[in-house]
Amino acid sequence: MKISVKWLGDYVALPPSEDELARKLTAAGLEIEGLERPSEGLRGVVVAQIKESVQHPNADKLSVTQVDIGGTALVQVVCGAKNYKVGDKVPLATVGTKLPNGADIKQAALRGVDSFGMLCSSKELGLSEESSGLLILSADAKPGMPIAEALGLDDVVLEVNVTPNRPDALSHLGVAREVGVVTGSALKVPQPKPAESGTPAAERVKVRVDAPDRCPRYVARVVENVTIGPSPQWMQDRLKACGVRAINNVVDVTNYVNLEYGQPLHAFDLDKLGGQEIVVRMAGKGEKLTTLDGKERTLDPDDLVIADGTRAQALAGVMGGGDSEVTQGTKRLVLESANFVGSGVRRTAKRHVLHTEASHRFERGADLDAVVPAIDRAAQLIAELAGGTVAPGRVDVYPAPKPPRKVTLRFGRVEKVLGVAVAEPEVRRILAALGFKAVEEGTGQVTYEVPRARVDVEREEDLMEEVARVYGYDNIPATLPRGLPELAPEPAHVEAERRMRHALAGAGLDEVVNYSFVAPKSLEVLGGKEQPVALLNPLSAEQSVMRTSLLPGLLENLSRSVRHQVESVAIYETGRAYFRDAEGGQGQRPAAREVHRVGGLVWGLRGGGRSWTQKDAKADFYDAKGALEAVLGALRVDGATFTPGEHPAYHPRACAQVKTADGTLLGYVGELHPRVVKALGLPEGVFTFELDTDPLYAAARLVPEYHPLPRFPAVLRDLAVVVPVELPNDEVRRVILEVGKPLVEDAQVFDVYTGKPIPEGQKNLAYALRYRAPERTLTDVEVNEAHQRIVEQVKQRLGAALRA
Amino acid sequence: MRDRLLALAEAARREIGVASELPVVEALRVRYLGKKGELSGVLGGMGKLPPEERRALGEVANTVKAELEKLLAEAVKRAEDAALEAQLKGPGLDVTLPGRTVRPGSRHPVSRTMEDIVRTFSRLGFDVASGPEIELDYFNFEALNLPKDHPARDMQDTFYVDDASLGHARKADSPVLLRTHTSPVQVRYMLNRKPPIRAVMPGRVYRRDSDITHTPMFHQVEGLLVDRDVTFAELKGTLDAFVKAFFGSATRTRFRPSFFPFTEPSAEVDISCTSCGGKGCRVCKQTGWLEVLGSGMVHPNVFTAAGYDPSEVTGYAFGMGVERIAMLRYRIDDLRMMFENDARFLEQF
Repeated sequence: MKISVKWLGDYVALPPSEDELARKLTAAGLEIEGLERPSEGLRGVVVAQIKESVQHPNADKLSVTQVDIGGTALVQVVCGAKNYKVGDKVPLATVGTKLPNGADIKQAALRGVDSFGMLCSSKELGLSEESSGLLILSADAKPGMPIAEALGLDDVVLEVNVTPNRPDALSHLGVAREVGVVTGSALKVPQPKPAESGTPAAERVKVRVDAPDRCPRYVARVVENVTIGPSPQWMQDRLKACGVRAINNVVDVTNYVNLEYGQPLHAFDLDKLGGQEIVVRMAGKGEKLTTLDGKERTLDPDDLVIADGTRAQALAGVMGGGDSEVTQGTKRLVLESANFVGSGVRRTAKRHVLHTEASHRFERGADLDAVVPAIDRAAQLIAELAGGTVAPGRVDVYPAPKPPRKVTLRFGRVEKVLGVAVAEPEVRRILAALGFKAVEEGTGQVTYEVPRARVDVEREEDLMEEVARVYGYDNIPATLPRGLPELAPEPAHVEAERRMRHALAGAGLDEVVNYSFVAPKSLEVLGGKEQPVALLNPLSAEQSVMRTSLLPGLLENLSRSVRHQVESVAIYETGRAYFRDAEGGQGQRPAAREVHRVGGLVWGLRGGGRSWTQKDAKADFYDAKGALEAVLGALRVDGATFTPGEHPAYHPRACAQVKTADGTLLGYVGELHPRVVKALGLPEGVFTFELDTDPLYAAARLVPEYHPLPRFPAVLRDLAVVVPVELPNDEVRRVILEVGKPLVEDAQVFDVYTGKPIPEGQKNLAYALRYRAPERTLTDVEVNEAHQRIVEQVKQRLGAALRA
Repeated sequence: MRDRLLALAEAARREIGVASELPVVEALRVRYLGKKGELSGVLGGMGKLPPEERRALGEVANTVKAELEKLLAEAVKRAEDAALEAQLKGPGLDVTLPGRTVRPGSRHPVSRTMEDIVRTFSRLGFDVASGPEIELDYFNFEALNLPKDHPARDMQDTFYVDDASLGHARKADSPVLLRTHTSPVQVRYMLNRKPPIRAVMPGRVYRRDSDITHTPMFHQVEGLLVDRDVTFAELKGTLDAFVKAFFGSATRTRFRPSFFPFTEPSAEVDISCTSCGGKGCRVCKQTGWLEVLGSGMVHPNVFTAAGYDPSEVTGYAFGMGVERIAMLRYRIDDLRMMFENDARFLEQF
């Protein structure tokens, strides 16, 4: 909300500088987000009256003027504009001025004639985008007066960030009250008393409130014989400073009083109201109303309207209607000052997508006690500025006056919650200055009547906040939390995730963070069968459903990198995938099933880019699997298996399912299916994985168990077998280990070879076997015998041939 | 015979003295001292000599043999040294070629920052907790003292979830949305525990907002401490300690009154600008301060929703935007970079 400092000064003494004012208000909770000084760029520009103007002797297009700037002598200025006449008042940028457009004004000789400054257009002063000729000022501007003052720009505007709990500060009076509290100066509240004459208002207009639960109070006044015209300059200047456009004297007064009191007002043309009657009622189903913005709206039965005898004339608390608008010919007015219930106004404003100054205030809660002074103030101003006569009396419908709220403050409690002992007299001073009235004294406590403007104060804590913010948060000490309760062990998944990240980083994968929402088709293309959780109001179709897989994000990241000529991509993400849960949303049960995942992708050159050590090798399935093995190793997940898997996103010949030793499926790793690659326009050779991390972490052995080192030496032997290409390593290895029991400790495959001289359809697998007995040194004879047995069995069981 | 012996010694001395390569030295050893070598050849006829002469000659022979052995050993050493010298003199390796390594992967700045924030609070004894991102209106708003039709809801533009897509067997207890803050985890955490409580709750949050300074998804870390007689002064102390531990001990904090529906009193926390130290610069828009945290004393209505008696316990809560802190920390000037995951961005962390 924009607050004019000049205007504020009407009600309270201000600190010497605006910066200090801003600092103090911010410290008390009214954050000043900005200070606008429209006069800043106009320093050195003054009102000049043109006393004489003659043709320049040496230039057709220039004139030489003598201008009065309030001094004893006239000033000579050369000017190129033609739109003035002698006697006009115009802005003069005096020598030494720096204009908003950057021009430095110097004394200069123009074609041989001295010029002491420059007469300016509004564009040159930065006041408009376009202008033709000099800015002609109003006749009452005094020569020599700073131009900012002449234009009403000698104000400073505060941009106040009013939090939703403080509608009381959505007005100049409200902010002035805060200023008074923080500076200790008294608040001067206007006491409007319009002079009344003629027929009583009650005889001119009837008011009926059919929906008192939505409109607790409705007050009307009648002003007759008004003359519609522009409002005076001072009022226009203030409205403009607050960002409100001037319209006419009556509308301007209602806006002005709203900005003054925070009480939205509306003026109806009494002669356009059917039946000289005002009815506050719910809209009929399908009822139509054309609002002031020219839009015809179909109303909802939940909309509260201000109607006349026949039809809706305004959307209560939101916007007036065009039919009863105050126009040039308006003579008689009905002024409305009412209180509407916030939630209802909010629903209507949302429904019709109409956010107005009025709805903003009502939604947050308007001050019931401002209804009467605001309408009196408006009537008085209209009588003054539009020449009307105020009909005697107010028509006031207030069926169920509510007593003000009462809240008790225990002084001892202040220290308990704030951690600092604020002296009781200081607590009392603060609350009194804020308008809280002590109505009941007790032992160590006092009960306050809450000003109606303070809709946010409902309980003791709220009073403590008032004390704290005025006392100053800076004056409350900072102390560390006392005592440590017990130190709970760190949740295992935290450490497990940390190790997983280290392992993935060690494998060369960069971490990414992608949005949780994706395009539905990005899941469909991966063969996702589950129906994803969808958003009702997504920002775009591209972000309209919750991901059921981390892969779409990773693939998008790949696309981006490929577009930027990156030659190697190795990335991972940890995060959630989201699934429907038929039983969700009841009690504490989450509405959907959120599964923790890790996903990864490798593509392109192995090892991060071209390298002489890698000879431009491309990453393949085993790089992706290797990254996973690094994770399994770091977490010490023993006995995890990779077996051929089937998954619609993966190449049927290059996909593995990953399971824990007890058979729990963790996820898949594989080469992206060629159809997916094609559909997404990706390059070939994309390898990805995605695992559920909860079962992964559950299988982790974060605290390894020590095994004593072997006391006797091992014997190493190699074994090479030729087997059909489709026979998996795991099977060969299983036979070796089984047959070699108990002497074979380990068998690592160290070579896989196809091609000559190995026959077509066959491959050579070479294993390094390690033999050991725990209690003795093995003899050659024993090892030879065992090795021979393994060779026989491998041949027999797997149909393998042996290679020398 | 003695003369032959001496002549042999003389010849051997000369030849061994100039031998500089191992094979040559070895050949000389075989030639002079080998079983069928010249020394053996000379001494072969010794048996025919009378015993006295034989003894004398034997002494000479032994001296010659010892001398030649010594000379040969020296020659071997000389030859080995020469060979080593020669080997050391060859062209050096190209030490400028890059080493054989896997480039370590980088950590995303948001997740790294989030982990560091959490770790800092664990030093103060805070537990780590999490909660659902697809949340009920009740936990995200109502239990946090944000009733329906409350204008404070405008502070957080919300993504709602399509009921039909949730596959629920029964209608959920309240509308379903993407959580707009991590604060609902506070309520869930309290519901399942008794005070005292100390926990931080990191996670993703969502707001329906997308422009140069807003992304529809971002991260927060929420903190909650509940006990008997917890004070606002302790809130200040805790956050001040965090800020100093995280941004450096010279960093100052400033608490400003503000409004959050779930705390009362509420405070925004500014820190002295991490870029200029508080003098005023472009980063802090010349104010010297940066707004990084929201905080306050837990609102009694929140305690009630969590099943706690507000007259028995007090507590404080705080929350911070991780992206904002990461941007300050790494001097990233464009929020949107965070979720574009450009390889050239990621590799810098």
